[in-house]
Amino acid sequence: MFWNIFTFELKYRLKRPATYLYGLLLFLYAFLILIYGNGPASEKANVNSPYAISYLLILMSVFATMMSSAVMGVPVYRDIEHNTRSYFFSYPISERGYLLGRYLGSFLILIAIMSCACVGIVLGSLLGPVLNLADNVERYGPIRLWDYVQPMLVFVIPTVFFTGSLFFSLVALTRNVFVTYAGSLLLFIGYLLGITLASDLENKDIVDLLDPFALNTFTNATKYWTPAEQNELHAGLEGNVLLNRLLWGGIGLVTLLYTVFRFDFQRFLAIKLGKKSKTDGVTEKAKPLATLPVAEKIYSTKAYLTHLFRLTKLEFGNIIKDVYFLVILMGGVLFLFLDGWFADQIMGTRSLPTTYYMIEVKDFDYILFVFILIIFYTGESVHRDKAVHFDNIADALPVPNWVTYGSKFLALVGICFLLVNLVIVSGVLNQTVKGYFQYDFNQYFTDLYLIEFPEYLQLLMLAFFVHIMVNSKFTGHIITIGIWVVLIALRNFAELDYNLFFYSYTPGYRISDMNGFGHFLKPLLWFNLYWLAFGFALLIVGNLFWNRGSEGDLKTRWRLAKLRFTRLPMMALVVCLLIFVGSGIWIYYNVSVLNKYQTADETRELQAEYEKKYSRYERVAHPKITDLKVKIDLVPEERRVTANGIFTIVNKTARPLDSLHLLFSSPEYNHPKTKTLLIDGKDPKILLKDTVFRYYIYQLPRTLQPGDTARMEITITAQPKGFTNSGLNRELVYNGTFFDTGIFPTFGYNPNGELTSDKYRKKFGLPIKQYQQPPYTDAWGRSNFLFTQDGDWITFEGTVSTAPDQIAIMPGYLQKEWSANGRKYYQYKMDAPIAYFMNVSSARYAVKRDVWKGPDGKTVNIEVYHHPAHGLNIDRYVNSVKASMDYYNQYFSPYQFRQMRIMEFPRYAGFAQSFPNTVPYAESFGWVGDFRDPDKTDYAYYVTAHEVAHQWWGHQVMPSNTRGANQISESMAEYASLMVLKKTYGDNIMQSRLKYSLDRYLRGRSSEDKFEETLLDNDTRAYVWYDKGSVVLFALQDYIGEERLNRAFRDYVEKDAFQQKAPFTTSRDWYSYIKAATPDSLHYFLTDNFEKITLYENRITEAKAEPLKNDQYKVTMTVQTKKLYYDKAGKETGVGKAKDLIEIGIFAADAKNKKGMTEKVPLYLKKQWLAPGVHKLEFVVKGKPAKAGIDPYNKLIDRVSDDNVKPVD
Amino acid sequence: MKLTIQDLNKTYSNGVKALHDVTLTIPQGMFGLLGPNGAGKSSLMRTIATLQEADSGQILLEDTPMGTIDVIRQKDSIRRVLGYLPQEFGVYPKVSAETMLDHIASLKGISNSRERKLIVDALLEKVNLSHVKKKNLGTFSGGMKQRFGIAQALIGNPSLIIVDEPTAGLDPAERNRFHNLLSEIGENTVVILSTHIVEDVTNLCSDMAIISLGNVIAQGHPADLVAAIQGKIWRKIIEKPELDNYKANHQVISTQLKGGRTQIHIYSDSPQLGFDPVEADLEDVYFSKITSHQELRVMS
Repeated sequence: MFWNIFTFELKYRLKRPATYLYGLLLFLYAFLILIYGNGPASEKANVNSPYAISYLLILMSVFATMMSSAVMGVPVYRDIEHNTRSYFFSYPISERGYLLGRYLGSFLILIAIMSCACVGIVLGSLLGPVLNLADNVERYGPIRLWDYVQPMLVFVIPTVFFTGSLFFSLVALTRNVFVTYAGSLLLFIGYLLGITLASDLENKDIVDLLDPFALNTFTNATKYWTPAEQNELHAGLEGNVLLNRLLWGGIGLVTLLYTVFRFDFQRFLAIKLGKKSKTDGVTEKAKPLATLPVAEKIYSTKAYLTHLFRLTKLEFGNIIKDVYFLVILMGGVLFLFLDGWFADQIMGTRSLPTTYYMIEVKDFDYILFVFILIIFYTGESVHRDKAVHFDNIADALPVPNWVTYGSKFLALVGICFLLVNLVIVSGVLNQTVKGYFQYDFNQYFTDLYLIEFPEYLQLLMLAFFVHIMVNSKFTGHIITIGIWVVLIALRNFAELDYNLFFYSYTPGYRISDMNGFGHFLKPLLWFNLYWLAFGFALLIVGNLFWNRGSEGDLKTRWRLAKLRFTRLPMMALVVCLLIFVGSGIWIYYNVSVLNKYQTADETRELQAEYEKKYSRYERVAHPKITDLKVKIDLVPEERRVTANGIFTIVNKTARPLDSLHLLFSSPEYNHPKTKTLLIDGKDPKILLKDTVFRYYIYQLPRTLQPGDTARMEITITAQPKGFTNSGLNRELVYNGTFFDTGIFPTFGYNPNGELTSDKYRKKFGLPIKQYQQPPYTDAWGRSNFLFTQDGDWITFEGTVSTAPDQIAIMPGYLQKEWSANGRKYYQYKMDAPIAYFMNVSSARYAVKRDVWKGPDGKTVNIEVYHHPAHGLNIDRYVNSVKASMDYYNQYFSPYQFRQMRIMEFPRYAGFAQSFPNTVPYAESFGWVGDFRDPDKTDYAYYVTAHEVAHQWWGHQVMPSNTRGANQISESMAEYASLMVLKKTYGDNIMQSRLKYSLDRYLRGRSSEDKFEETLLDNDTRAYVWYDKGSVVLFALQDYIGEERLNRAFRDYVEKDAFQQKAPFTTSRDWYSYIKAATPDSLHYFLTDNFEKITLYENRITEAKAEPLKNDQYKVTMTVQTKKLYYDKAGKETGVGKAKDLIEIGIFAADAKNKKGMTEKVPLYLKKQWLAPGVHKLEFVVKGKPAKAGIDPYNKLIDRVSDDNVKPVD
Repeated sequence: MKLTIQDLNKTYSNGVKALHDVTLTIPQGMFGLLGPNGAGKSSLMRTIATLQEADSGQILLEDTPMGTIDVIRQKDSIRRVLGYLPQEFGVYPKVSAETMLDHIASLKGISNSRERKLIVDALLEKVNLSHVKKKNLGTFSGGMKQRFGIAQALIGNPSLIIVDEPTAGLDPAERNRFHNLLSEIGENTVVILSTHIVEDVTNLCSDMAIISLGNVIAQGHPADLVAAIQGKIWRKIIEKPELDNYKANHQVISTQLKGGRTQIHIYSDSPQLGFDPVEADLEDVYFSKITSHQELRVMS
């Protein structure tokens, strides 16, 4: 009997077109991703690596929730829907046979559907290299059966078993198919919640368990895999993956079993008794019809407007009274609130709930709900009368089309308005609950009413139009969603982004407290006008085709539309189209005429051409700047600048120079124009003029002999024109201008403009570029500074003028400030040599001043220039500067300036940068951090210490432009700031800071596109210079002693600071000091970490404590240690065999330090020599042990850092 | 006031010819439109109710206070005087009967809310729904829904009322009540009642037409139509197996089971052997017209 039902179910399913449609969808999705080569992030991992296959399949199982609900929800519901249950169960079948037969038949089909994704991947892998659509033939690995079977067994099948059983049971028990829709939505919500929580490292285990699809579990288990490992390994059924699968598979099984035992036909058959009004057959005596009052009937525009209003109200009520609408809306608002609540985190520290952030969260998850609500409820509304068959009455009422049509539209406009306002409600609520009362309603209203609301309207207009034209709810949904899928796919896969062609798309923007909506608002309003005009045109056409009456066939509707196309709609349509075309032309003029628009591929092609044409000049000899005097006239009100620079240039080469190569900056946003270019007062003759790449070669008026000096004067004006298709265009802004020497031309070819990706270099016929910088032995590299080859040490002074209410800042000391011609002038002069590295900043600043006093009486003036509303964290910057000054002056060398200035700039970029005595600091980077919880990383303090450290490492010791030299600047700044942190907060809190470095390093190497270099030879990888550098240097000072290491660095500074002549210092010089300070026994540590790529796998497997007398405990623990070596590609090459010095620790329960931070309380903490392998260790400690571990602070680079410590039993 | 229909034609996009040169004059009073399922009654009703386009032909409502209204061109004008009860209709389930009627009344042009309330209350009482007027329409039974439908059709004092198969699905008592209500509708109103139940027409209508397969096959006063066939209808009780035999030799217009045996009516100008004369009624008119028309169709 079971067998009959099972095979019937299979046959039934195999005859349904939906089965094939689902399979085809998954197949196509996988196939397209594969042939377009959209695989994992790293170019070195295969598009069809086991990692990529697993990830893709798991992702499919998330999206297949909808399919799962459709396939597994109906086998039982079918008998309700077609009312076959009334007789079907009278057949001699058993409940279990019926249920299990239906279940297994459908489940088998569901697995078959999921397998279509595998087929898609296989076929994509086979055809991908043949079609070569993505220029990466070599990224298709071999096809191995296990790569597909393994993730199906471990991830996909348990997941669909869970979702399938859930949906099946819900219908079987509730007899309501809508429950499954709500169920799948809830699952989605749960999943999104997981992603939101996962942003914090601390919640990793919870998220791993709670994700029903195990997507987070999988990414967490594999996040440190190098590309080589991604190509070989499978995420096995172990650890959190095993727990997760057991949990969700178990829930699925329990649900299914419960249903099988609970289900019985009688309950299933029982008719649902709803509340019915009782009919009474009593005939009452009513007044005769003729006595009915006769009312006056009014048909006027005013009356119609009243109808419009009433109908709108009715329809609005119809929508918001829908239970599912409310459920989805609540889901959306929940996310809106949670996304705002968790806020943006930097190193685990949340920012304050600023208004701009409360607004931005609308695009995280909420937009998805908005999308669903608008599309689905537009369909509901448009088809409502037809769906409930009220149209037969409504359509014959004396109401003009535009009233009915308009009321539906307006009701949905009301829904859009509601959706927009919920963002404000959620934002204000968030801010209030968090005790942040700086509500910026101006930002709320401008963004939500002028930018977001029109976008929701556009979404609505398209959906409305489609639903009316196709006149079928289901097809309407499919087509509307289809249009968006195509738009999004074109932008993401085909790299097309010309907004004028993408319905409802506008240029990106960012709100800043400093600069408000700045220059972004204008283009946004133009684009919104453009799309709204288009949307209204659609609405007018839709009104013509509005389906009134019983005939929905195309011919009749076309005929009616022609009849309805009278003067008024014609005029309205013409007006809309005129606005559409007019604003379109204006936008085109701005984007493509005033500015230049390039596709991503065109940009790459130009980059390649630039390299092919001019890379031969890479090492052409040029003079060096020794003195710069600037005169900068800023007009922030007009975003305009005139920059005049007088450069003293010297021939420092051994040969005469007769020409000068100048590369002018890109016209992309600011349209710089060269007003004057004089060398020694003369117009130099142009030998080569390339306006495309802005490469010019001039003949020097007089040949510069070695040692000769010339004077070069350049005046550049720059001002953005109109607006662009995209881009933040952040340098010249109304409030918060920040630009650097990039405004002036540079000498010769700049290799930073080259394509770096292997994939694209191959495509354009360029040789693979392995390094950006020459090796440390290279004489050319050593003759240049790391940051600029245009000058060595220079002297600098200048004047800058700006708006009367702004303060303008450049490196140096303020000599004079005055007002003239309604402008404010500032004159700065530097009295110590600096690198050719200066910035100009200008904004309406408030200033906080303080003074650092050194032990020898030396003082440094500290000035913090900030947005007046961002005063909360100023003391953190000041205190950090002071602590840094204390430490660096003591341990490295005296500070070369008398002043340290920090200034805020708008959040169009998210960094801080150290210029001589000047550090511009992004608005989002600390000024609005919420540091009230002392356990959260105070990155304002930490980053400031880093930037101040650059005044030594980068402004005193200037590395050469060679491979590895970046570590002297960045790793050392990291080291220095860690030491400041340690000195301020103590050794025992350092792990909470360093875990982020370790995590970023391991992630960085796992998404490596080329190869990972060692600390000594890394050129451009930030995860090496910041993160590996942090961990390794911190461990080193711990191993050999802070004083000892600092002494080595002090010696290094003494020797190599302010090198006047090339060759400039390299990573080998730096390393030699480190080596000299390290005892022989620990040289293995240097080799492992500086010269090789080494990762540990330390782990504690057992820890027990036995109480002895006098509060003493005997602790026994079993630890494992293993050291692995990797090649640059990330392949394991061997294991360490010798003994390593590794720390063993036993801890009491965590305590709070004086500053309120949680810190470890070691009862025992000592390093000991351990051979690779398992060790049983025994210690006696005083005090009750709570935790024990090997390398408990993660001082060593450990692949799995969270198994080093274990609670003591 | 009268409604005249001239040469109305309609062919659906799937090729079905729903109306074929329909020409009718419908005077004031109750007009019955009789026809079997699928005869084109609803198509005609929908076309008059402005819900459907005609391929050709004309429908005019003449001698109204506003002059002559062209139904096909002046949809909005006709809608202002129309009361329409469709054969099938639905309601918003979450709205109460009172609210919905009030809403429809306002759409029908009654803008004074006090007047509207008076009318709605009176109509609800009239259709015996006042005790449930606050209840949501979704909770109504079939009969209650139908009564609601009548109430909405009567709102606004319409001068053209179209009721399409109003009694289908009503129990005898409800049907009776409905007939009483219809009979109360004022004299100076054109009321078109479409039905396939002959009794409805017999009880209510002063004029009628029979349509079949899109054609008007008879038209006139019911009494005149009955008179025309008086003496031409004959009856016989036969055994069931003989039926085919009789069909071959006579124009059998109806068969009916009587106490387990089959009684047939035939149409014949002259007496037939073994047949008894019958007093003809409207049902005989209906069946004789339908059978002869359909036989003609089959032959042609």
